[in-house]
Amino acid sequence: MSDSRVSQRPEEDAVPADAASSPDVSTDVAPTRKARRRPEVQTMAPEKEEGSKREEEGSKVVTRLKLTTVSTEAQSGWGYWGSWGKSLLSTATATVATVGQGLGQVMERAESTLGIPSPTELSAQMEEEEKQRGEKTSVSKSDTDSSLGGAMGMLSSLSSVVQSTGKTVISGGLDALEFIGKKTMDVIAEGDPGFRKTKGLMNRNATLSQVLREAKEREELQTEETESADSDRKLVAHYGVLFDEFQGLSHLEALEILSRESESKVKSVLTTLSGDQLQQLKRELQTIKEPFSLVEFDEEEVDEDKGGDGAGCEEELTRVLDGLGVPAAADHLITVRACKDASAQISHMTSEHVDRGEEEVEEEQEEEIHAAAIRTLAELTARSIQLFHKLAEKILSSSCEADAAVLSRLTLVLCKQVSLLSKKFTSCLTSAGTNDRGDVLNPMITNVFLEASNSASYIQDAFVLLLPVLEVSHIQRRSSEQQGTEPIQSEEPLNRETDVGLK
Amino acid sequence: MAYAYLFKYIIIGDTGVGKSCLLLQFTDKRFQPVHDLTIGVEFGARMITIDGKQIKLQIWDTAGQESFRSITRSYYRGAAGALLVYDITRRDTFNHLTTWLEDARQHSNSNMVIMLIGNKSDLESRREVKKEEGEAFAREHGLIFMETSAKTASNVEEAFINTAKEIYEKIQEGVFDINNEANGIKIGPQHPTTNSTLSSSQGGQQAGGGCC
Repeated sequence: MSDSRVSQRPEEDAVPADAASSPDVSTDVAPTRKARRRPEVQTMAPEKEEGSKREEEGSKVVTRLKLTTVSTEAQSGWGYWGSWGKSLLSTATATVATVGQGLGQVMERAESTLGIPSPTELSAQMEEEEKQRGEKTSVSKSDTDSSLGGAMGMLSSLSSVVQSTGKTVISGGLDALEFIGKKTMDVIAEGDPGFRKTKGLMNRNATLSQVLREAKEREELQTEETESADSDRKLVAHYGVLFDEFQGLSHLEALEILSRESESKVKSVLTTLSGDQLQQLKRELQTIKEPFSLVEFDEEEVDEDKGGDGAGCEEELTRVLDGLGVPAAADHLITVRACKDASAQISHMTSEHVDRGEEEVEEEQEEEIHAAAIRTLAELTARSIQLFHKLAEKILSSSCEADAAVLSRLTLVLCKQVSLLSKKFTSCLTSAGTNDRGDVLNPMITNVFLEASNSASYIQDAFVLLLPVLEVSHIQRRSSEQQGTEPIQSEEPLNRETDVGLK
Repeated sequence: MAYAYLFKYIIIGDTGVGKSCLLLQFTDKRFQPVHDLTIGVEFGARMITIDGKQIKLQIWDTAGQESFRSITRSYYRGAAGALLVYDITRRDTFNHLTTWLEDARQHSNSNMVIMLIGNKSDLESRREVKKEEGEAFAREHGLIFMETSAKTASNVEEAFINTAKEIYEKIQEGVFDINNEANGIKIGPQHPTTNSTLSSSQGGQQAGGGCC
């Protein structure tokens, strides 16, 4: 599969800089279905059996990402990198180009700040070692350890690089590389990057709430099994379960219902129109739709956010919410408070870490931080979806206007907050785990980044669910405005209780 | 944590009859005399035990206000049980029951179990609707009936649990197709038979091994 892909776009293999300089590709972050495939918990832990397979896929991805520094020798190089690479890269929704860009910079940064030899050197070194040993496999333990130690120290800078270059960009390592690899292959197989924007709007085979519910149920089972069978490994925080506890699933389900019904109402209105009226309405709906395809992380904004301490989050959220033109209510405050609580918790944990810091409490502390991170992400996401759900209800009930552009801005602010939170929690984790215990710490960090990535894509998807709601609201306003002058055709199907798609 | 079944409930009825208070009493065991107006729908969940089986109740508490009516109707679908609530101190809330019932029957699945609830039974001195009237209405329309007080918690548990029992019986009788989620019933997560990867993965921290 990688072969055919490479041959599809041979020019990029030759010129790696192209990837970074094609903005239209790199700004495309419309959520895709694949992004929501949630990881099984057990894949967090590295699996020896699958190591070689992953390496192969990892190197395929790298090859595909046109990092010429890591070319064909990369396979041995990845063997060396394997253990610390886990915490580095990835994204759930970014495109090939974005990933490539992020990777390139991650590597540059890694090399320049840590004095780690370049991948080419690594590969060369590995080849030498291989020759000496007459085998191409094992990485010596000490090598692994030293690279691990280095990786820990640079994690925070790495994540910020990744996040400022990518969009909803998060971490992952080989697991994530495999994930990205599959995902980007799918994307490329579609052969139409622009199509992905509309795909989220048009092609829903499984609803988001179904996906999340299944994930939650899986987690519940796993919790039970681990509790009964494997008591020493009590992991801990399950995103899906927590998300449901905060009623995120219910709000999502309800929002999906409203979205679906609105969609069918819009369709039924469109079928009653023809000619100029139809074209006119389509044009109007198109202007509503536009902000929806523009949802993307603005990297500059993440940068400008006061060094990323997130203190401005509540104010920014409040400001955006005020701009909505929908009467403020409790659910606004709840979302803002979720933000506030998270910030407070992080600063609390950071100070706590200074107070204690003995080695034996470290692991416990890491687990605490990890649990708090997952819980916070789950809560913020659930609150965000609750907010969107309530907005949909208000828009539909009182026919009040909500500007699609402002909603899009709101989505960005929420995603930004998710990204900032994950960054803060992981740097908190990194500083808590000063010991060389990457095998414990890395899966946690990976998990936090992965759930943050998922969170952002759930929020974006919930936002997309608002589109039909806004369309219906527009049509309703429009018909009531025109009602005074002449009765229009679209009036009838709107005013009767449209039950299209209900039964 | 795991449950055998999940039942979706809706609570409907005029504004101010105590729907959200009933839910709060059932899920949190507390009473809040002043409650914000519900917007659209709010949610609550609680685990109960029937016939030795854990059942999770997922409750959709709808807004009673007229302006939300068309939205809340959308939520009726896929509910296994409904609590139709009126206020025994307000005759008009009782008079509106027919409309609510028609609405519920029209927009939900035909097997939905409906429990009629006369709430605020603690306010005996202000009673406008006799208990017999409620019973008669329920009998006439094939509903279960109870008078409750969200304030004193009287009959609140019973109202939710008896509804669940009725649904459970219908499942036993085969009336509900539990595989059709539109009925508002879900079977709890099933235990898969194998899960060996979790333990075997723990030793594999050195991922650098064999490359090909």
